[in-house]
Amino acid sequence: MEQKHTDRLKTVVRVLALVLAIIVVWWLLFAEKDNHVAVNVDDGINITPEQIESIRSIGQWEFLSVSTEELVDTTRRRLLRDDQLVRIYYGTLRLGVDLSDTRGDWIQTRGDSLVATLPKVKLLDENFIDEARTKAFYESGSWTARDRELLYQKARRQMLSHALTPQNLQSAQDNADQQFRQLFRSMGYSNIVIRFEN
Amino acid sequence: MSTVGGCLLGVLCCASALGCSGCHHQEQPAEANYQAIDSVPLLIMQIQKCARLYTTEYHLHKIITHDDVVKLQGSFLKQNIDVKLPLGDRKVAIPMDATLKGYIDFSTFSEKNVERQGEKITIILPDPKVELTSTKINQEEIRSYVGLVRAGFSDAELSRYEQQGREAIINAIPRLGIADRARESAARALVPMLTQMGFREENITIAFRREFKPYDIRRYLEM
Repeated sequence: MEQKHTDRLKTVVRVLALVLAIIVVWWLLFAEKDNHVAVNVDDGINITPEQIESIRSIGQWEFLSVSTEELVDTTRRRLLRDDQLVRIYYGTLRLGVDLSDTRGDWIQTRGDSLVATLPKVKLLDENFIDEARTKAFYESGSWTARDRELLYQKARRQMLSHALTPQNLQSAQDNADQQFRQLFRSMGYSNIVIRFEN
Repeated sequence: MSTVGGCLLGVLCCASALGCSGCHHQEQPAEANYQAIDSVPLLIMQIQKCARLYTTEYHLHKIITHDDVVKLQGSFLKQNIDVKLPLGDRKVAIPMDATLKGYIDFSTFSEKNVERQGEKITIILPDPKVELTSTKINQEEIRSYVGLVRAGFSDAELSRYEQQGREAIINAIPRLGIADRARESAARALVPMLTQMGFREENITIAFRREFKPYDIRRYLEM
């Protein structure tokens, strides 16, 4: 009799334990669905001020802009494997005339006639690469600041050779002629002569 | 009909057999001509005619900094977790110089922009715009500090931080007052030109008119 009673008690305890275990597992799996833990690294930069180093007035007329991108690479030979660094540089070459290069009497008028002698069309700014836009394409091995600077100079030379061509300079000059004629015509001059210095 | 069909079938079979046998007797195909590709100067160019008068130039300097802290973050049993892991820090400082220029767009300039009243002349120009014309990273001055168990900064990571710094400079443009300076400088650039055309300085007026876009008109209507 007592044995029967004990067996029954054990069965009840086992069933209760099973039910409790099911409840706990269900709770962990379904009730706490939003459990998530991950290793994170903040990829943003800190807020720092922009300092104005200089401000100056200029008078540069841009008549042709050449936006270009160059894929530049460098390789370092090693015993087992070569190191390689490949970057894509972006730049915009602006061609036009700088009014600071004009002579004092570069515009001469008589009645409704006007003669303008413009300076030679040239690259307006030697700094034309937007280095902060550079894309890192491929890197293997370790590279120094000097290596990156040499890549920048290589990209610069390539951009100049591809964009600063006689055809582009002539195109800029033709556009300068057209735009200045339009400007002077708007001012009321009908006989307009545009010349460029050599 | 069946005889004709059978003959046609036979002809087709013979032709296919000849073709297949011909394949075997064909000369070995010539070696494919491989075109050498110069992988270095991959060039994409966009050439655009324009008529812009750049009147002011700003040189800016910015030091881009980044602190790299590894954290264990998330939520467990409705408890928020944000624990810094003892894996060491990484820090980098990147000095950058940028050039901003304010300009007037003369591409739509016409007689409508010029008002004459006797000897007086008024030039009406569109509002100046600002452009980021160049940026330069001072590679030699980049400083980085990396913990023992951390890897150094890769080229891709540095480029990402530099792009963020560039965006920060662009976002700072409205606070710099470049547009106002460009207006003043436009007058300084154009008045000498007009005096050479025969106008007296006191008879010259340089005015600016904003080009209203649809969202501007909507904004003013709401006001």
